[in-house]
Amino acid sequence: MTTSAPEPLLALSNVNTFYGQAQVHFDLSITVARGHIVCLLGGNASGKSTTMKIILGLVKPRSGEVTFDGASLIGLSTPQIVRRGIASVPEARRLFADMSVRENILMGAFVRNDRDAVAQDLDRMLTLFPKLGQRLSQRAGSLSGGEQQMVAMARALMSRPRMIVMDEPTMGLSPLYVDRVLELIRAINQEGVSVFMVEQNASLALEIAHEAYVLQTGKIVLSGSARALKDDPRVRDAYLGGSEAA
Amino acid sequence: MSSWLDYTINGLIVGNVYALVAVGLALIFGVSRLINFAQGSIYLVGAYIGWVAVVQLHTPLPLTIIVVAAAAAVVGLIIERFGLRPLQNSVRIAPLLATIGISFVLDQLVMLTFSPNPRALPSQLPDVRFQLGGGTIGPLDLLIAGVGITSALLLFVFLRYSKLGWAVRAASQDRDAAMQMGVDVNRVNQAVFGIAAALGGVSGMLVGMYYNQIDTAMSLQATLKGVVAEVVGGAGNVPGAVIGSLLLGLVESYGVAVFGTSYRNLFAFLLLVVVLVLRPNGLFASARQAPPEPLTGTFIAPSRPVRIPRWALAVAAAGFAILPFFPVSFYVLQTLINAWLLGMLALSLTLVAGTMGQVSLGHAALLAIGAYTSALLSLTLSVPVGLAVIGGGLVSAALGTLLISPSFRLRGHYVSIATLAIGEIVSLVILNWESVTRGPIGISGIPPLSLFGYDLISPTSIYWFSFAVMVVLALLQGRLLGSHLGRSFRAIRDDDIAARAYGLSLNRYKSLAFIFGGFAAGVSGGIAAHLYSYINHETFNTQQSILALTVVILGGLGNVVGAIVGSVALVGLPEVFRIAAEYRILIYGIVLLLLVRFRPQGLLGTI
Repeated sequence: MTTSAPEPLLALSNVNTFYGQAQVHFDLSITVARGHIVCLLGGNASGKSTTMKIILGLVKPRSGEVTFDGASLIGLSTPQIVRRGIASVPEARRLFADMSVRENILMGAFVRNDRDAVAQDLDRMLTLFPKLGQRLSQRAGSLSGGEQQMVAMARALMSRPRMIVMDEPTMGLSPLYVDRVLELIRAINQEGVSVFMVEQNASLALEIAHEAYVLQTGKIVLSGSARALKDDPRVRDAYLGGSEAA
Repeated sequence: MSSWLDYTINGLIVGNVYALVAVGLALIFGVSRLINFAQGSIYLVGAYIGWVAVVQLHTPLPLTIIVVAAAAAVVGLIIERFGLRPLQNSVRIAPLLATIGISFVLDQLVMLTFSPNPRALPSQLPDVRFQLGGGTIGPLDLLIAGVGITSALLLFVFLRYSKLGWAVRAASQDRDAAMQMGVDVNRVNQAVFGIAAALGGVSGMLVGMYYNQIDTAMSLQATLKGVVAEVVGGAGNVPGAVIGSLLLGLVESYGVAVFGTSYRNLFAFLLLVVVLVLRPNGLFASARQAPPEPLTGTFIAPSRPVRIPRWALAVAAAGFAILPFFPVSFYVLQTLINAWLLGMLALSLTLVAGTMGQVSLGHAALLAIGAYTSALLSLTLSVPVGLAVIGGGLVSAALGTLLISPSFRLRGHYVSIATLAIGEIVSLVILNWESVTRGPIGISGIPPLSLFGYDLISPTSIYWFSFAVMVVLALLQGRLLGSHLGRSFRAIRDDDIAARAYGLSLNRYKSLAFIFGGFAAGVSGGIAAHLYSYINHETFNTQQSILALTVVILGGLGNVVGAIVGSVALVGLPEVFRIAAEYRILIYGIVLLLLVRFRPQGLLGTI
């Protein structure tokens, strides 16, 4: 693996976010290197999902900078950010339940206008997710959780993104699907797509990630290479809730 | 005597017209979870544009349809861009109230431009009827059916095969997820409002041609019918809206066949209430629940109320009490009497809508019940007027609560729809129950106010009486809000699930709020009946319900002093500025729009 990527693909620097009076992020700084899988770990209410919303422009930070490929994302609308090359797999998948599986996957290509290439990409998704082939005309809402996760990932890939952000991609899945999803994330990454994922399940996430950050009540308390963090007892302590465990 | 087939054809044709309105409502509800109360106004605008095109420009029919659709679409786009988009991040009730304000403004502008007198709108089609089985059908029927079916097909193709149509469907299923696919939700909203307005405008024109008459009263009726059809079909469900519309058309047509034309609307609203109570998600709701309405708490703009010291209130009350000793004109007293009567209604509504969070759009019905009860008690049973007014309050409290109780299990926008429908039902029952209410003739010769045998005829005595009654009601309500009961009301408003978890019975507290509110409104209506000496089923109409809502928002939802300040302001200021009567409704609409946009917490703040 080369480590000669000086400029990160995505960088959050000194981000402070508020919901009304309550501060969610304290000087949050995160970078995602090109071609890497970066994982943001943390317990409930640590500000993980809000970090994703900041990247996607669904929540505006009060201060700080977010750049993608060197250009600022601050002030851009969510659709504009998506057009820059960031796709998302939202928490709980958020499929368009009354649309068919095919329509859901094609919705991922909404920002593209190259019809023929989109059709090819749809075929490519069916080789990547063979199970979806038989389900194409089915209502997306009628699929199982694991199948829905496949659709959500295929949908994200259809925009040919440079980066995918994923919010708890393994949440609520059976163990079999958890492994399958992790495998797929690795496969997607090997095709050159950077991945930023938010996870509660640290041991699983650290298996596939290059780097990881641990978020606790809005502050980064630990960061480093996934390999180093895997054996770090402080990761577990951070989950078990702060000061008394430290 | 027409055959059943004729009634069926008529029902389906009218249903087609409703469908054009209801489909637009469903599209808008799907994308922005908003019931667009301005939809009927666009229908009205469409009818008048059609009139201008046909009668003044002599356009051929196909061109007329295109002109009407395009012009109405432009109106829809303007509403979306300037009326609703600025409200995207405000409280959930704000866009709904804005569409009510917009509908007042549009209706009044049409009325001021074209005068309220009905006009004929010729259809330009030959007046022949073809035999069809046992019934007949005319070219206009075929035109309406054709427009309805063509629109449905175009809409289907648009939603199913166009990129923007996909965006509309995606946004209506999951707005945030659609944005994350790159869908620009503002463009989707624009598209939906443009389409809804074009369909609504054409519908208005067709109805005008069908009855060969257009007038400004069409607007509210169209909104109501569209809402009924949409809710029956399941809010936000486009094919459901079409079926709901046809069903509504048939139910009305058969109802008319059996009972007569004055029953048409009664059947429509009864159908709505039945559906709301039994299947609030519509007849065709899938197993998947419709997206839940927001908890009522998010309906009220949070704010810190302006604290007014007690002595200042006492001084103000004393000032108004001794006002008649100064050389003020009868005109001023008359204006303030109107303000006090509106104040009582506003007290009632601010309790129900503000403190309890049940935004009622049919509050004038409580006035009507109080007024008819008091008038009939004093006229037919010779009950002394003072007691009759109290009787009006009591009957309004009891009957109002009973009538409104089916809506207790509803939330948010659905409460507003249900109360609006129940208000219309009360007015229609008054119209049709001739043996008691004297039907369309109304009640005349109602005795003047009197107290302990003394007639209150001079403006001064009426002024004091109405002011005293309002102050007593306000003091009682102030006590109520500070009590445990008042806290329970607010708890239910802010989070009914949490309130239930703490053992508060929603039905009981909602009943108590409506009993208290019903009494205040009933007394106001009772006093009004004896002042006017003549009332009929239209004396207390939806305009008054909306005026009361504007007053309550102006003062600050839930705010007792605010309700009175708002009443004095909205009744008094047009008098001060000598604004002609026909402009007043326009001004109320504009006031409502400005409030929602710039000061949703009102003058004195919500409590």
